[in-house]
Amino acid sequence: MIQLLKLAFRNLGRNRRRSFFSALAMGMALALLLLMASVIRGEMGDAIDLSIRLQSGHLQVRSATYDEAKTSLQWEDLVENPDQVAAQVASLDPVTVATPRLYASGFVTTRNESAPVRAVGIDPPSEANAPYRDGIREGEFLSPDDREGVLIGWSLAQRLDLSTGDTVSLSVNTSNGEVEEQAFTVRGIYSTGTSGFDGLTVLLPLAKAQAFTGAEDHASSIFVLLKDPAQTDAVIAAIQSPGFEVLTWRDMNELLIQTEQLSSGYMVFFYLIVLGIAATVIVNTQIMSVYERTREIGILSAIGMRGRNVMAIFLTESGMLATGGVLLGLLIGGIVIAYFTRYGLPLAVENFGITGMLLRERIYTQLTVQDTVQLTLMSFLVTVLAGLYPAVLASRMEPVAALRAEK
Amino acid sequence: MKLYLRLAWRNTWRHRRRTLIIVLAMGFGLSLMMMYDGLVDGFNQAIYGNAIKVLGGNIQVHAKGYGGSAGQKPLLALDNDGGILQTVLTQPGVVAASRRINTGGLASSREGAFAVGITAIEPELEQEVNLAGQNVIDGRGLTSDDGDSVLIGKGLAEAMGVGVGDRITLTGRSAHEQMRQRTMTVIGIYDLGMPDIEKLTVYISLNEAQTLYDLSGASTEVAIFLDEVGREREVIAALTPLLPGYEIQSFTDSYPELQYALASKGQAMDIFSVIILGIAGIGILNLLLMAVYERTREIGVLGALGLKPRQISLLFILEGTFIGVVGVGLGIVLGLAFNGMIRAVGLDFTAMSGMTSYTALITDKVYPSWGVGRLLSRAVTVAIIAALAAVLPAREAAQRDPAEALHYV
Repeated sequence: MIQLLKLAFRNLGRNRRRSFFSALAMGMALALLLLMASVIRGEMGDAIDLSIRLQSGHLQVRSATYDEAKTSLQWEDLVENPDQVAAQVASLDPVTVATPRLYASGFVTTRNESAPVRAVGIDPPSEANAPYRDGIREGEFLSPDDREGVLIGWSLAQRLDLSTGDTVSLSVNTSNGEVEEQAFTVRGIYSTGTSGFDGLTVLLPLAKAQAFTGAEDHASSIFVLLKDPAQTDAVIAAIQSPGFEVLTWRDMNELLIQTEQLSSGYMVFFYLIVLGIAATVIVNTQIMSVYERTREIGILSAIGMRGRNVMAIFLTESGMLATGGVLLGLLIGGIVIAYFTRYGLPLAVENFGITGMLLRERIYTQLTVQDTVQLTLMSFLVTVLAGLYPAVLASRMEPVAALRAEK
Repeated sequence: MKLYLRLAWRNTWRHRRRTLIIVLAMGFGLSLMMMYDGLVDGFNQAIYGNAIKVLGGNIQVHAKGYGGSAGQKPLLALDNDGGILQTVLTQPGVVAASRRINTGGLASSREGAFAVGITAIEPELEQEVNLAGQNVIDGRGLTSDDGDSVLIGKGLAEAMGVGVGDRITLTGRSAHEQMRQRTMTVIGIYDLGMPDIEKLTVYISLNEAQTLYDLSGASTEVAIFLDEVGREREVIAALTPLLPGYEIQSFTDSYPELQYALASKGQAMDIFSVIILGIAGIGILNLLLMAVYERTREIGVLGALGLKPRQISLLFILEGTFIGVVGVGLGIVLGLAFNGMIRAVGLDFTAMSGMTSYTALITDKVYPSWGVGRLLSRAVTVAIIAALAAVLPAREAAQRDPAEALHYV
């Protein structure tokens, strides 16, 4: 075995430059695949992560009759005594934070412009509001007893040309099916880096939101974050009670998760084409090296080496090329991805739309161990498989004919 | 020159299998790009075709300061909208034009509330072109005398749990900062096959909107319908000098984020495709390096015959380029075959329609084009990369000393 490795290594060393370029082709292919996989992972993972932090949470406790699409505020669709329910949920061990939230749909108007928004009543001191509190770009965060202040998103502020201290009028639907309007002062402007979300979401203190919409002591849902996202089942079992419905982040982000699976599905097709192209380089190089060594192969078989063994020599060679290629690929890919993980790719898209996917302005690549292992194995296998044809070619050579070959 | 071409061409095919394998790699690279281009075209068509239907009109004329994107709809009255209408209708390619008022508001019932765009139309003028009006599946379409009547989409009707004859409340802002709330009867439900988009627009009659929003006799938009998609630029160019002081936009401007999405993904794809071709280019590099060694003696003979180093390297660069060009040929065949196959079945993206505001516009399967729109630049890229890959072997060949090379066995 060691003999075989030595032999193969020396053979590759005979034409160092050629071997290097073959490995480089494979390495470039692997690096490209790693980059693409990490971009997709970064984009989708970020979308799910953002959705959890901003919209869905890990769990939400709602009234069984609540329909998110309708933003109903009728009392029977809401959670009664939300503070008490939230406190109960928060006391469970796997729960980091549980806070009541109230959603209403409406629009804000300034002089003669208006924009559709979702008004969200939040409990200002709650930890769950960190993305907004840390994202304050001007002004200040809400205080719980503020009766006239709202926080608006950066992109909405830009669109309607608003700054801290300005007055806006907010109209929302209410519990009795009517629409209420009231003037508010912009206390601050936050940015979550997700212009789609920021342009649609207006935050106000829960107490004010309840009074404004006539929801009184009710909330749309209890927003729950867990220490470990996988622990949803344990918590669901603990808070399951009649009249309530508990939704997990997987239920609420089903579309995103599906899309991620779909895109990784068709990416495999793309990966195979790229690897196929790199494989042709290996096939060609190895075929050339088989022909160069026709005489040598003849000698080897004349002194009794079997076709199997000849094949093994060439396969070991392509295995070594593959190893070199994979190492190069990991090196190149690693450096490029490390850069984009840090600084991001300016690829993402601003989107508006009430449902849908939240994206940041930049994509931060995310390389998972799973992707790395999968793609590395895939490239390795393709390279070795590519070496199969030349190896078979070599093993089938007739010793006598091969010995007579010119070179 | 002709001689070089012939020599290089023959050299290309001395080892047929070798060359074919690299040609295959180049061809796959190019066909991959054609598939991508085809898909982008397909998306564009699927989305823009519907964008026109939803926005109503290929071109919109607004008052200065209206400021374009689909998100904001200020109530800025158009001066002399009747005059604009006259001017517009005289343009070639214009099928219809009508006045509208667009604003945002809230549609609410006891069940819940939805932020909607409220579009006020002159139903008679738009009869030929308004898709919502043509696709009423329940109740009837609007007429200009309809008061307190609203035409809503099937998606919204389902979400709000209302049907024809039910009453919903429309809330909006008037031009004078008054909140206007009006309970209206649903007189009809339209179905465009795009539930997410249907949720976003309700139609009322222009007369009704003028009273409701304090815009007596005025409108905020003139929507222009053309006989075919693609003439927007031409018509806008003709209208611009005739209508100074107005904002004239085509539907593509109304979805800037789609443009941006396609452009940025396109850039990434351009970079990726160069890398992929670079990988195939390494194949050419290796092949030619090999050929240089094999033909050492031959190069010596050529040198002895008086060929200058420059001319010898030209031979090799031509050989590399030929491989690239044949690769282009194969790539075109493969690309057309792939795109043809996908065209036959279509790609189903309807599951993703809820993802973004523009994917919501996809109603049917996406059918890619043949992907030949950017073929020229794609093919040139392939040829350039192939030629570049030949540079190193060509230099190597040129540096051979003829006397030494001749002695090589």
